[in-house]
Amino acid sequence: MKIFSLAVVLAPPGKTCTILSSASDLSTFSFYQRGSVAEFMAFFTKTLSERTPQGQRQSVQENNYVAHVYNRGGAEQLAAVLIADQEYPVRPAFSLLTKLLDDFVAKVPQASYANANPGGITFSEIEIYLQKYQDPRQADAIMRVQAELDETKIVLHKTIESVLERGEKINDLVDRSNALSMQSKMFYKTAKKQNSCCLIM
Amino acid sequence: MPVQDRTNEFRACVESIRNRSSLPARAEAKQRLLQTRGRGEGSKSELTRMASAIGKDISSTNIKLGKLSQLAKRKTLFDDRPVEISELTYIIKQDIASLNKQIATLQAHVKQRKQQNTAKTSESKQLEEHNHNVVMLLQSKLADTSMTFKDVLEIRTQNMKESKDRTEQFMHSTSAATSQAPQNSLLFAHTQRQDPMGDGSKLRFDSKGKSRAVTPNNGDILAMDLTSAEEGTASHNGDAFMQMQLVEQQNDYIQSRSTAIESIESTISELGQIFTQLAQMVAEQRETVQRIDADTVDIASNVSGAQRELLKYYASISSNRWLMLKVFGVLIVFFLLFILVS
Repeated sequence: MKIFSLAVVLAPPGKTCTILSSASDLSTFSFYQRGSVAEFMAFFTKTLSERTPQGQRQSVQENNYVAHVYNRGGAEQLAAVLIADQEYPVRPAFSLLTKLLDDFVAKVPQASYANANPGGITFSEIEIYLQKYQDPRQADAIMRVQAELDETKIVLHKTIESVLERGEKINDLVDRSNALSMQSKMFYKTAKKQNSCCLIM
Repeated sequence: MPVQDRTNEFRACVESIRNRSSLPARAEAKQRLLQTRGRGEGSKSELTRMASAIGKDISSTNIKLGKLSQLAKRKTLFDDRPVEISELTYIIKQDIASLNKQIATLQAHVKQRKQQNTAKTSESKQLEEHNHNVVMLLQSKLADTSMTFKDVLEIRTQNMKESKDRTEQFMHSTSAATSQAPQNSLLFAHTQRQDPMGDGSKLRFDSKGKSRAVTPNNGDILAMDLTSAEEGTASHNGDAFMQMQLVEQQNDYIQSRSTAIESIESTISELGQIFTQLAQMVAEQRETVQRIDADTVDIASNVSGAQRELLKYYASISSNRWLMLKVFGVLIVFFLLFILVS
C-alpha cells in the first residue's frame, strides 16, 4: 500500500503538459533503478494528463502500478497524478488528488505557472502529503472516522459483555442477600422465643 | 384494482330500497338525495375521472416495470441490452414523477372540495371519506410501484456486477490489457466527450472498432476467445465490459464516496443502538440492586433485633438471682438426698 509519486501538472487542453511540482518515494527500488523509474513516472504523468479530458478522473494500470489521474481543468487548467501500487484504495487516492489541487491553487499564485515555467514554484506541502498519505487509513478523513468508529464499537462490545457479567453477579448477590435475610429473621425469632416462653429459670 | 365507477349499482340499490319501503315521505327524501347527487355529480365525476386516469397510468407503469424486471433478471453474459434497459428505466422514472404530480393535484382538489363543502350532511362526509380513500389507494399503489422499481434497479446492478465478475473470470489474463485498451482507444479516439453521463451508445461503436483492432493481436486473448462461440461475441463481451467500465468510471468515485459515508452512517446508528441497549441493561440491573439494598437493610435490622433479645435474655438471666437460688437449692437438696440414701 504505497504511493510512488505524486505530481501537479499544468494541463492546457490540446497542448503539451508541464509538471509543476512533484514528489516521489522510490525507496523500494534499488539505487540504480531509481533514475529510470523516476523518468518513467514523469513521462507517464505527462502522457496521462495530456490524455485525460478536463473534469475527468481516470485510473490506468501499467504492469504493477496504478496511476490515478484527476484533471481538474478550471481556470488554472491543473491536473494531478498519483502513481501507487495496486493495493492502494481508489477512493482516498482521488480525494487526495482533489485536496492536493485545492491546496496548490490556494498556496501558489497563478501567475507563477501560467506561462508554463515550473522553475519558480515552491510547493513543499506535496512532500508532506506524500508521506502522510502512505497510510491512507489514518490520513483520509472518511477512513479515519470509520476506523475510529470500529474501535469504538469494539470497546462498546466489551463494555456490554462486562455489563452482562455484572448482571450475573448482581443476580447472585440478590439471591444471597435474600437467603441471609431469611436466616437473620429466623435468628431474631429464635432469640425472641428464648425470651418470652418457658420461664424455667 | 383500478378505481371503479359504481354509480349504477348505487342507483339500483336505491330503487330497490324505495320499492321496499312504502312511506311516500321517505321516497321524497330519497328523491332529493338523488337530485343532490346529480348536481354534485359534475365536480365529483371530475375527481373520479382524474382518479381513473391516474389508475390507468399506474397500471401501464406497472406493465412497463414488469417488462423491465424481466429484462433485468436475465443473467446472460452476451445478450445484455443496456440501451433498452436504460431507456425503459428513464421512461419509468418520468412516469413515476408525473404520477406523483397528478396524485398531488388530485389531493389538492380533494382538500379544496372539502373546504368548499361546509354542509355537514352524512352523505357529504361519506363523499369526502370516499375521495380521501381513493387518494390513499392511489398513493399506496404508487408507493408499491416505486418500491418494485427500486428492487428491479438493485437486481439490475447486482446482475451487472456478477456478469462483470464472470467476464473477468473468463478473461482474467487479459483484464490488464482490456483495461488498457479502452484507455488507449478513448485517448486516441476522443479528445472531447459530449455526454458525461455515459449513455454509452456513441462510444460503443468506437471502442468496438478499437477493441476489434486490439484484441486479436494479443495471443492469449485469442486463446480465451476460442472458448466463446465467435469473435463477435467476444468483442461484444469485451465491449460490454468496457462500456460497463466507462459507466462505472463516471460514477465510481462519487458512488464510492457515498457508500463509504453511508457505511459510516450505519456504523454510527449501530453505535447508538448499542448505547441504548447498554442503558437498558443498566436500568434493569438498577432494580435488582435496589432489591439487594432493601434486603441488606432488613438483615441489619433483624440481626440488631436478635442481639437486643439476647441481651435482654442475658440480663434477665444474670439478674434473676431469686430463681437461681431456688433452683440451686432444689438441686443441693436432691444431691444431699442421694448421698444420704446411698
